[in-house]
Amino acid sequence: MLILTRKSGEGLFIGDDIRITILEIRGKQIRLGIEAPTTVVVLREEIYRRIQEENLQAAGTRDIDVTEIAQLWRQE
Amino acid sequence: MASTPQTASPSPAVLPAKTRNFGSIEVRSDQIISLEPGLLGFTQYHRYVLIEHHQEAPFLWLQCLDKSDLAFVVIDPRYLLSDYQPGSPAQIMLDLGAESPEDLKFLVILTIPPGKPQDMTANLMGPVVINLRTRQGRQLVVEAPHYSHKHRVLPG
Repeated sequence: MLILTRKSGEGLFIGDDIRITILEIRGKQIRLGIEAPTTVVVLREEIYRRIQEENLQAAGTRDIDVTEIAQLWRQE
Repeated sequence: MASTPQTASPSPAVLPAKTRNFGSIEVRSDQIISLEPGLLGFTQYHRYVLIEHHQEAPFLWLQCLDKSDLAFVVIDPRYLLSDYQPGSPAQIMLDLGAESPEDLKFLVILTIPPGKPQDMTANLMGPVVINLRTRQGRQLVVEAPHYSHKHRVLPG
C-alpha cells in the first residue's frame, strides 16, 4: 500500500483525471472531496462490498430455480 | 428485448454468442447492451444481452457476452414495487445521456439461493439502468434506507 501524508486543503491525483482533496480534518473524521469521471465507481467501502457481494451471489442463480419461480408466477 | 430500431441504416450485424442457459445464440449488434462501468465484482465485463426466460413470466437473463457462463436474472422493478424510484430521475437521465424518461429501462437483479426459490431476493440497492436509445447502461447504487440489497420477493 502506498502511504502518503497530507494536510487539510492538500490533495492528490490518481492518474490524470481522479483528484482527491482533504477538505477538513475534525477529530476522528476526515472529509474528502473526490473528482472523478462518471465512469469511475466511487463508493464508501461498506456499500461497495455489499453490492459486490450481492452481485457475486446473484451470479450463482441457477436456471432450474428460475424455471420454478416462473412456474409459480404463471400460476398466480 | 425490444430495442430502438435503427432507421435508415443497414441491417445490424449478427454475432454468434455462447450463453449459460440457452446454448449458442445469435445476437444482433443492436441488441448488445454496454455496461460502463461493469457490474461491481465484474467490472472487466461490459457487453450484455437480455434474453427472456419464458414468454409468460417477467424474468429476463442479463447474459454477459464477454464471459459465457456469467448471467444474472433480472426483473423490471415495477413488478415488485409500483413506486420504485432509485434516486433523482433528472440526475439519472443526465448520467445516462437520456433525453426522455421513456428512454430509461430499470432492472433489478434477483438472487435465488440454490434450491430455495421461495427465498428469492431482489437487489433494490443496486439497480441496473439502461438507456434504450444508446444501449449504454450502468449499475446505480441507491443509498436509501427503504431499499434493501436483499428485498424479499415472496412471503417467507
